[in-house]
Amino acid sequence: MKKRAISILLTTAMTISLFTGCGGAEKAAEAPQAEKEPAAQESEGEQTQPEADSQTAAESVKVTFWNSFTGADGDMLTDLVNRYNEENTDGITVEMDISADFDSQLSTAFAAGTGPTMILSSSAYRFTYGDYMQDISDVFEKTNLDKTDFIQSYLDYCSEGDTLYFVPFQIVGYYMYWNKDLFTAAGLDPETPPSTWDEWAEYAQKLTDESKNVYGSGISYDYAYQIAHIMQRFGGLAVTGESGNWKANFEGNSGYAKFLNMYQTMVQNGDNPLEADTDSMASAGQIGMTVGGPWVTAGLDTAGVNYGIGLIPTGDAGDMNSVEVLGFSVTTAASDAEKAAAYKFIEWWNTENAEGSSPALEWSVANGFPAYTYSVQEKDAYKASAKLSAMSAANPDAPTDFIVDSSFPGTNAVIADVIPEMINSVAFGSSSVEDALAKAQEAADKITANY
Amino acid sequence: MKACIKYWNKPSRCAYLFLAPSVILLILFSVIPLAAAFGLSLFDVPITMNTASFVGFTNFIEAFHDERFLNSLKVTAVFTLLEVPLQVFGALVIASFLTKNNFRNKLLRAIYFLPVICSATAVGIMWKMILHSNIGFITAVLQTMGLGKINFLNTPGLTIFVVSFISLWRSFGISAIIYVTAIQQVSASLYEAAEMDGAGKIKQFFHITAPSIRPTFWYILMTRFAGALQIFDIIYITTNGGPNYTTESTVTYIYSRAFSSASSMGYASAMSVILFVIIMAVTVVMYRKMNKED
Repeated sequence: MKKRAISILLTTAMTISLFTGCGGAEKAAEAPQAEKEPAAQESEGEQTQPEADSQTAAESVKVTFWNSFTGADGDMLTDLVNRYNEENTDGITVEMDISADFDSQLSTAFAAGTGPTMILSSSAYRFTYGDYMQDISDVFEKTNLDKTDFIQSYLDYCSEGDTLYFVPFQIVGYYMYWNKDLFTAAGLDPETPPSTWDEWAEYAQKLTDESKNVYGSGISYDYAYQIAHIMQRFGGLAVTGESGNWKANFEGNSGYAKFLNMYQTMVQNGDNPLEADTDSMASAGQIGMTVGGPWVTAGLDTAGVNYGIGLIPTGDAGDMNSVEVLGFSVTTAASDAEKAAAYKFIEWWNTENAEGSSPALEWSVANGFPAYTYSVQEKDAYKASAKLSAMSAANPDAPTDFIVDSSFPGTNAVIADVIPEMINSVAFGSSSVEDALAKAQEAADKITANY
Repeated sequence: MKACIKYWNKPSRCAYLFLAPSVILLILFSVIPLAAAFGLSLFDVPITMNTASFVGFTNFIEAFHDERFLNSLKVTAVFTLLEVPLQVFGALVIASFLTKNNFRNKLLRAIYFLPVICSATAVGIMWKMILHSNIGFITAVLQTMGLGKINFLNTPGLTIFVVSFISLWRSFGISAIIYVTAIQQVSASLYEAAEMDGAGKIKQFFHITAPSIRPTFWYILMTRFAGALQIFDIIYITTNGGPNYTTESTVTYIYSRAFSSASSMGYASAMSVILFVIIMAVTVVMYRKMNKED
């Protein structure tokens, strides 16, 4: 009898603990809201109270900050956030959550009616999560940030009309990297990379050395971003027009056809590997020329590869400076006080200290990302970086749109579906270039019809 | 309190209390999400789920006209047919050699089990590096042996076999250990009697071991079948469905529709429902077959 009673008690305890666990989760979800209310009240107070009170009012403000910087740059971001938490005298605490599963974490939170105060993401997120982002165009009025210091084309990336969704954080452009030692071995001038795509194909042939497993060209069939950056040099943007009247430009695009034919020929000739992971090969010194983001340099530097960086060769579509802009945005989950605190953090990020440095400059120099403000571009530390100088050498008047018009909301679908299907079918010979483009047009038309 | 204890202090009632934690968890994390997926499949819902428009069975009709979805079903079927029989029978053969509890067998069991406890991501990255077409260790060794440059992960028609092998390598240890445990439960007297009757090891295996562990065999077969039909992690890490979608499994494709492309949760849910129906049908058929044999 005693044993039975104990077993019943234990079972009941287990069940209760289960419910308690669920209840705990609910409380955790409610917590930010509970904290938000006093903060909001404090914010209201700030508007009416004298300045002396404002610091006290801001004391409890916490900024939850989500992003997906899981790599080595994430460590640096953590250090900078910690530094802000230590240095700031406004009583603001930035609580950062870096997650490899950032996207699904964010969508789940928004769907559940919660979310962080601030996120760091691609500006293209405004097309998916725009309803959950606040207009932050007043950031230049409420802080000491100078709007004219920001390169306008990057701000355009972060805006829809007069609504600003992001303050730029990082500019991700793609560049050409070439292996100088392989150039020398092939009898090419290591300081003169190809400036046209005809030269690229010609150099690729010369650089290829089958006996050493060396390929002249390193274009991956599985790297849609790389393909997209190259493709648009040949045939311009894949989607142009305006809201409600978008036009896909695949079928009959002679530039795209030229690129696909060139790629197919290089693969068939053995000058370009049929490989998804060409970055590893570049780091192993087995790729003569490739195209990639600034992170490629990390692998090349670690492996001790003697390489050069330059702009992607120009094609028939003319000068281009295609980039992706990553930025800070404030979500609708943020109260006014939290929004103000997030502004303070963004201001700090872009403000020079007594030594003339700023987190934005440090980030740019350490990680090799071009600056988005004129003031950072003028800094000696920035200018001293050969990588950054090469990356910033693009024609400032060249269009910055990446593969589609920057205001087209279906960018992700074009990059994730249309381009991979097209390049795969050509790379593996399952369809002709014309058929691949026709199929891509059909798929892109379906996407444009949605917007 | 006394009345409450008295009420629950009957085996028929007390059993519900013991079942309650599991049932509650099952309802919370399986039944409700499943029902939600069914519901979502009838709507056009974006990833943020802030809007939803009822579309009826449109998502299902679209799925059956979607070439990539149909291709993913084919890929999943091929993967399952490659992986499951090898896993179920291969693990059985290996297990039959490892039943004795000596040091060598214990060591081998641990070695076979090691990949099971490794994360799929680590396993995927490791194999991706080893089998890289240009800088992979195995590729280089084979090339040195004069077998040419084999592009394991980028050759349509070959890569699905490679991915199946990696998946098999990673998970067959658990099947083997389950078999070993089952075989060890078979009464030793049966083997002694068989030996006295002059039956060799092979005869003992087919006439004693195999029939005795039939429930275990069916358990492994059913769980591996269901697991193979839901393959995602290894494919996502090693090939991401390539080359040319020849390894794109149904779950990989569903994931891409839900999270990395146009983020159509409704459409992704519809495909999940179709996959669920397929898995359920296969499981029910197997379950009936198992019961019939019993």
